[in-house]
Amino acid sequence: MKKLAILLLILLMAPWAYADQALVQKAKEEGKAAFYANITAIQPIMEQFTKDKGVTGEYTRISTSKFLATVLTEHQAGKLMADVLQSPLPIMKLLKDNGVLAPYTSPAAASYPAWTRKDDAIQIFGIEYVALIYNKELVKAQDVPKQYEDLTDPKWKGKIVMANPSAHATTISWLIGLKENVFPSEKAWMKFVKGLAANKPMLVKSFGPTPAPVESGEKLIAISMPKYIITKAPAPLDWARVKQPLLGTPRGIAVTASASHPNAAKLFVDYWLSKDAMQMLADKVGEYVLHPGVYPPIDGIDKAKVLPIRVLSDGEIRSWGGKFKKIFDVP
Amino acid sequence: MLNTRTALTPSLIAIVGFLTVCPVVMLVFGSFSEGIGAFGTFTLEKYIESYTDPEFANIIVNTVIFTIGSAFVATLLALFLAYLNTRTNIPFKFLFRIISIIPMMIPHILFSVSWVLLLNPSNGLINLFLRQILSLENSPFNIYTLGGMILVEGLLDLPIAYLILAPAMAAFDVSLEESSKVSGASNLRTLTRVTLPVLRPAILASFILVIVRSLASFAVPSIIGMPGRIYVLATHIYRIIATGFAADFGMAAAVGMSALAASITLIYLYRYLTSESEKYVTISSRGYRPALIELKNAKYPLFGIVALLSFVLIVLPVLVLFYTSLVPYSMVPSAKAFSMMSGKHWLQVLKDPISLLSLKNSVFLGIVGASLGVILSIFVSYVIVKVRTPAAGVLESLSFLSFSFPGIVIGVGFMWFFVRTPLYATIWSLLIGYIATYLPYGIRPLTSAFIQIHSHLEESSRVCGGGTLYTLRRIIIPLLIPGVVSGWILMATMFVRELTLSVVLSRPGTEVLAVQILRFAEDGLWGKLSALGIMMIFISSTLVVIASLIGTKLTKVEEESR
Repeated sequence: MKKLAILLLILLMAPWAYADQALVQKAKEEGKAAFYANITAIQPIMEQFTKDKGVTGEYTRISTSKFLATVLTEHQAGKLMADVLQSPLPIMKLLKDNGVLAPYTSPAAASYPAWTRKDDAIQIFGIEYVALIYNKELVKAQDVPKQYEDLTDPKWKGKIVMANPSAHATTISWLIGLKENVFPSEKAWMKFVKGLAANKPMLVKSFGPTPAPVESGEKLIAISMPKYIITKAPAPLDWARVKQPLLGTPRGIAVTASASHPNAAKLFVDYWLSKDAMQMLADKVGEYVLHPGVYPPIDGIDKAKVLPIRVLSDGEIRSWGGKFKKIFDVP
Repeated sequence: MLNTRTALTPSLIAIVGFLTVCPVVMLVFGSFSEGIGAFGTFTLEKYIESYTDPEFANIIVNTVIFTIGSAFVATLLALFLAYLNTRTNIPFKFLFRIISIIPMMIPHILFSVSWVLLLNPSNGLINLFLRQILSLENSPFNIYTLGGMILVEGLLDLPIAYLILAPAMAAFDVSLEESSKVSGASNLRTLTRVTLPVLRPAILASFILVIVRSLASFAVPSIIGMPGRIYVLATHIYRIIATGFAADFGMAAAVGMSALAASITLIYLYRYLTSESEKYVTISSRGYRPALIELKNAKYPLFGIVALLSFVLIVLPVLVLFYTSLVPYSMVPSAKAFSMMSGKHWLQVLKDPISLLSLKNSVFLGIVGASLGVILSIFVSYVIVKVRTPAAGVLESLSFLSFSFPGIVIGVGFMWFFVRTPLYATIWSLLIGYIATYLPYGIRPLTSAFIQIHSHLEESSRVCGGGTLYTLRRIIIPLLIPGVVSGWILMATMFVRELTLSVVLSRPGTEVLAVQILRFAEDGLWGKLSALGIMMIFISSTLVVIASLIGTKLTKVEEESR
């Protein structure tokens, strides 16, 4: 019986394995896969891909604010050099609307949660999670926030740093995510937002500059990303284990419609979604990935509930940005 | 002669126009198009929306204070330093060259962050120190103010001001001052009544260049202004781009047009104010040798001020850089910090193939770009100063076109343009983009040097049968060498740390230093950033030393042959 089961399994796997071999062969003939993204330190993944598959992985990093403009400019001029694109989900959707992406369902995505596989072109593989990051040397254990509302306590006045909620799209989406997923009522949420504003947080350009003031002790707590606990080790950073879920913008990956290396593109997406690559992303960069059983090596993260934020339209983001501008008193 | 001159102006207008107009034209199209690309259905919506924004007036006020303030700080400091260096017997003159160049080489993000570490109101080192010794309750200084922004931007732009003023100061005809003194005027009176008025074109040039530069500057407004909730044009534009995922660069360009208009107005104003250029000519065919003023008792107090400036401008930021490159994360200096120091970041950078490739590319762009840029600048400055027809005015404005656009926007303009050419994604697109954008860095020092050269010199050469090229080579260029060296240094150090264009145009294989540094900054990896930053300063210093040595050698040869 057992032998039969194994035989059956092999028979079932064979076409997939064969298909995989054929893909590798074609991808090798194409030589390389060009990858555009804005993600920290993924060189090890590119190198491993090149080594394992014999196809060169070439990484171009384009910052999020220029991502759409760059890709669309190249696409419209017929010069898109990318075979694979990766960015926050709202940008991926806009790219799809502009006909930049090609449909592809990667066999490697089979084990991912169903909600990540809904789109025929974009595969969601991670969440850019946001949390309260504090200086563990300067904040006493009993003072660490236990819920988001604790940030409104006047003891944090002048001690918080966050990205500008009137302009930073991800932070705006995060605040809206709290309203829709975490707070019991809009009134309770508005009380939180106003209380946070009353504590006069230092507002910076994006998430990038949020951890440094906390490390150096200029500020004590940041609305920031837990991945910095990994990338900035041994800085004295830790995340507040709030009782509510953590939220973040989903990240997606897709192959381009005009890929000059279409097979290498598919092979790259398959590799990217594999447990090995996702483990590297979690270990080295601290990313929250959606491959089952893979977590970044941050204490307690495997127990946290991390939810994706709905994709907000740019109109919605601007309108909320305008409201936060008034509440946070940004000129 | 006249024919060569007539042909020179149009061909230069064609070259400079091609370099600078193309990206700007793309931005103009973008600003009038619906959607987020360069081309779309015509609309005025972007202009209406951006200029009817109720915050806009406030932003303009901040921008005016910020840019004019920075121009004052930079120009006054530069005048002071250039005067002491070229005209007095102050000791340790080599320091001046260093002070004037170092801020040019430090990545601006890093310089700003160093100042935040020193002067932030929570735990800035200078504030902590003053609170301790004066037993104050609150911090005396807050960097997150307009004043803080002006201070840091002024210091960062000091090299631009110095490198324009110093050559003019060096080429000054002393007989004017001597006449003043013979007529019984004191040193101070001579300075205010003779020296400064004669230097007016150079002072105005420096003032205007710093205003235009600080208008486009992003590092200081984002690192110091944003946390203090002070918005200027550049950060306002960033806000337009960052709010939402479909960044609308057309709208950003619409706002940027006001910066462009301001710059062009300033250039015409400058031309008007210096239109009687004959007044400022100081090197004529008579003997010329700047004399040194004996400082007597003021010598050491003045030197004290210079020493303090060098400490603030060079020692502090470079120390902060070194320190940051050695500690594992952003920490206030302490026994613990010193015990945790290591060369880890340095090793990681040296082992990183992309960092090494970016070093190589930046050195190439610095040397080749600055050399080509200076050659073009010599011709352009010659026409601007010596031809002075309306066409020359057009040429001068053209040279400022890309330069006066806020960086985030002009980069996209170049991308929209280059993507239509085979140069896209090659190192040549960077080279052309750099020269086009930073042409004023070559042109400004050279025009202030050209203004000082009397046309009698050229006429004498011509009377003796010398053609345009011969006159240029034997008469003009030797007198221009200080200006050439200044221009080359400004361009080379700028190209080595160029960020705004590179971040849009660089691709795998054409990575450059500043982009690599920005990536480290985006990830908050200040240690690696500082290590690479120091390597960048080292490269720039080497280039500066070589340029200065060649400059000195050429000037000496000329003197010997005279």
